[in-house]
Amino acid sequence: MPQFPTIFSITESEIDLNDLLARITLTSTGAAAIFTGMVRGVTSRDDPHETEYLEYEAYVPMAEAKMKQVVEEIRTKWPVVEGIAIVQRIGKLYPKTPTVLIACTAAHRDTGVFDAARYGIDRLKEIVPVWKKEVSPDGAEWIEGDYIPKAGE
Amino acid sequence: MNHVKLLFFATIRDRAGVRSVELDVPADITVKDLKERISADYPTLKDSLKSVLVAIDREYAFDEAIVPSNAEIAFFPPVSGG
Repeated sequence: MPQFPTIFSITESEIDLNDLLARITLTSTGAAAIFTGMVRGVTSRDDPHETEYLEYEAYVPMAEAKMKQVVEEIRTKWPVVEGIAIVQRIGKLYPKTPTVLIACTAAHRDTGVFDAARYGIDRLKEIVPVWKKEVSPDGAEWIEGDYIPKAGE
Repeated sequence: MNHVKLLFFATIRDRAGVRSVELDVPADITVKDLKERISADYPTLKDSLKSVLVAIDREYAFDEAIVPSNAEIAFFPPVSGG
């Protein structure tokens, strides 16, 4: 079994998509599914409002351990996935700025690689200890998730 | 007595007013008992602790777990990364 490239980190630096993609691309790679989330300045759905910036914080050592766990879960479910990169940026981030990136590579696009990347972002939002405080013209508020991890997660 | 380190994040940290604290606890204390101890020490956390997530040494832990000596115990709200 070849050793596939794996990247997971919490960073205060700009997320460099081209660099990450190059690092998870092998000679056997023909497809990459990339999800990136960014700060939304204007929200229309549900509770319409504007956002000045988001301030992210993480429990870094646990967050990186849980990202590694997400990587292992992806590898178990989609053994065909080659490279995996999961990066969460923290600090004060303004609208249009990418905050998170999940990328999975594979030989072909019909291998489940889209599902693998989707699973990665969904799991990150469930178990990786990162929080964001939203600052809007009306004030600041911590955003809390709703997922309660189970034993063994 | 066991020596432990507590870490608070996000809303929990704001309400406690501190990022971390070290304290001595009985050797057989459970997570549930530790929450009660913290509620007493930090009355502002009383409501938050009902829905708090707990991690012992960077793994999620639940009410019945026994807190080991020298543990790093984190208290935080459901996560909201991404």
